[in-house]
Amino acid sequence: MEKTIAIRPGEAERDPRGYALRARRQEKVLAMATPVVFFILWEICARAGLLDSRFFPAPSAIFLSAVEMLRTGMLQQDVIASALRVLAGFAIGVTSGLGAALLLGLSRLTRAALEPFLTALYTVPKLALLPLLLLIFGLGELPSVLLVGMTVFFLVWIQCMEAVLAIPENYHEAARSFGAKGWNMFRHVTWPALLPQLFISMRIAIGTAVLVIVGVEFVQASQGIGYRIWHSWSLFQANRMYVGICTVALMGFLFSSLVRWLGRLMLPWTASSTKGSR
Amino acid sequence: MNSLRRTDISAAMPLVAEAPAKIEVRGVRKRYDANGNVEALAGVDLKVRSGEFVCLVGPSGCGKSTVLRMIAGLHRPSEGEVLVHASGTRAVPTAMVFQSYNVFPWKTIQANVRFGLEMTGMSGAEADRRATAWLGKMGLADFANAYPPALSGGMLQRVAIARAMAVEPEILLMDEPFAALDAQHRRILQDELLTLWQEDRRSVVFVTHSLEEALLLGDRVVVMSARPGRIIAEFEVPFARPRAPEIRGEPMFAKLEQEIWNLLREQVGKHAA
Ligand SMILES: Nc1ncnc2c1ncn2[C@@H]1O[C@H](COP(=O)(O)OP(=O)(O)O)[C@@H](O)[C@H]1O
Ligand SMILES: [Mg+2]
Repeated sequence: MEKTIAIRPGEAERDPRGYALRARRQEKVLAMATPVVFFILWEICARAGLLDSRFFPAPSAIFLSAVEMLRTGMLQQDVIASALRVLAGFAIGVTSGLGAALLLGLSRLTRAALEPFLTALYTVPKLALLPLLLLIFGLGELPSVLLVGMTVFFLVWIQCMEAVLAIPENYHEAARSFGAKGWNMFRHVTWPALLPQLFISMRIAIGTAVLVIVGVEFVQASQGIGYRIWHSWSLFQANRMYVGICTVALMGFLFSSLVRWLGRLMLPWTASSTKGSR
Repeated sequence: MNSLRRTDISAAMPLVAEAPAKIEVRGVRKRYDANGNVEALAGVDLKVRSGEFVCLVGPSGCGKSTVLRMIAGLHRPSEGEVLVHASGTRAVPTAMVFQSYNVFPWKTIQANVRFGLEMTGMSGAEADRRATAWLGKMGLADFANAYPPALSGGMLQRVAIARAMAVEPEILLMDEPFAALDAQHRRILQDELLTLWQEDRRSVVFVTHSLEEALLLGDRVVVMSARPGRIIAEFEVPFARPRAPEIRGEPMFAKLEQEIWNLLREQVGKHAA
C-alpha cells in the first residue's frame, strides 16, 4: 500500500498572529476559569448543606464580609500595613543580598572569608529569630521588616552568587580580549549575565516575604492581614479569616506577577520574553 | 628550535621577510589543570612579522587555540614568554575571533559588534556607524536589532568576525573563523578577508583546519604536532600577492597541500593511537 504523507501549514502557520492571540486568550480564560469553578462548586456545596458553614462559609457570605470590611476601611488598612512591611523588607533584602552576592561572587578572598559563615546563618529558621529581634528592637515595625529583609537577603544572596560564579568563562574572555575590565566587565558581562537569576530569586523571595510577614503578624502586630486572620480565629469569625486568606493569596499573586513583568521588560533576550504565546 | 623541520620552497618570495617581528613566541610550554597533568604545549617557538599572515594548522586538541589565547593575553604560558610588539596607543593591540563565537546573548547583534569599539573609547555615534557598516559587509544588516538566539551558528560566527574586524586591530587573531560557515559564505569571506588584508597589511594569526584555506590566505603555514603541541614544520607560501582565489587550481597549490597533508596525517594517526 502506498501512502503519501503531506505536511502542510497548520493553523499556527497560516495565521500566526491570530493563532497567538487566540492561544493567549485561551490561556487567560483557563487561568480564570479554575478559581471561578472552584468557588461556584464551593457555593453550591455550602448552600446544599454539604459543608459545615461554621468552618466553610459560602463564598457569597465571605464576599459580603469582605465588602463590610472594605466599607469600614479595616481591610485597606490591613493590606497597606502588610504590603508596606513586605516591600520595605524586600527592598532591604534584595539590595543587601545582591550586594553580598557581588562581593562574594567577584572576590575569591571575600568568598573564602564569608561563605561558610553565611551558609551557617542561612540554615537558621528566620522566624526563630523573631523573639530575639523583639527583645533587641522592641515592639515597633522594625523587627517585622528586618525579619522579612533577612529572609529575602539569603534567598537573593545564594542564587545571585551562584549565578555570578556560573557565568561562562567564554564571555569573560571575549570581553577581556577587547580590553574590558573592572566597571566595563561588570556592566557588559557580569550584570546582564546575572540579571535573569536575580529576577528568579526575587520572584521566589517576594512569595516567601509574604509568607513570613503573615507569620510575624500572627504573633506581633495590631494591624495587617496576618493579624486579621489570627484575630478572627480568636473571635471565631470564619468569614473574616477567609477574607484574610484570599487577600494574602491575591497579594502574593500580584507581587509575584509584578516581578515577573519587570523581568520580562528588563530581559528582552531571554526565552520567556521572546516566547510570546507560550 | 631544534625540533623544527623547515621546508623552504625555492620559489618562495616572502614579502615580509625583512619586516620587524610583531609577535614572538619563545619556548612556550603550557600545562593545564592545577596538577599540570594536561600538557597542551611542549615548547613552541613562533615569530610573526609585522604585516604577515600566518596560518596555524594541526590536529584538534594540539594547542592552537591555546597559542592564540596567549598572544591575546588571555592565558599565560607555564614556561617561556610571548612578546607582542605593539605600535599603536591602544591598550589592546589584538582582536580575536573565537572558535565558539562568544557572542554576548544579552546584547543585540548591533551592540555586540559595537562592543569592541566602545572598549577603545570610541563615541557612540561613530561606533554605531562602523558597526552598521560591518554588519552590512557580513550580510547581517537585517539582524542588527535581533538577539543572538535568533541567529544560526554561521551567522553568529559572522557577528564575531565583524566584532573583531570593526576595531581594526594591529593584530588579528582568528580561531577557525570560517568553520561554521556554509561553502558560499566561507568563499565570500575568504575573498573579503584577502582584500581587506591586502589593503592595509595587519598581522594575522589564523587557525584553520582547511589546508586549502591556509594556502589561499597565508604567507606562511605553520604545522603543529599532536598534543602536546610543538611546531614541526613551516611552509612559505610562494604565490604572489595580490592573490586571486584562482590559485586554487595551480599545480603548486596541490603539491603543497599534499605535502602538508602527509605531515598532518602522521600526527593525526599518532593522536588516535
Ligand atoms: N582552559 C582549559 N583547561 C584545561 N585544559 C584545557 C583548557 N584549554 C585547553 N585545554 C586542553 O589543552 C589542549 C589543547 O587545547 P586547544 O588549545 O583548545 O587545542 P586546539 O585549539 O588545537 O584544538 C587540549 O587537550 C585541551 O583539552
Ligand atoms: Mg581550538
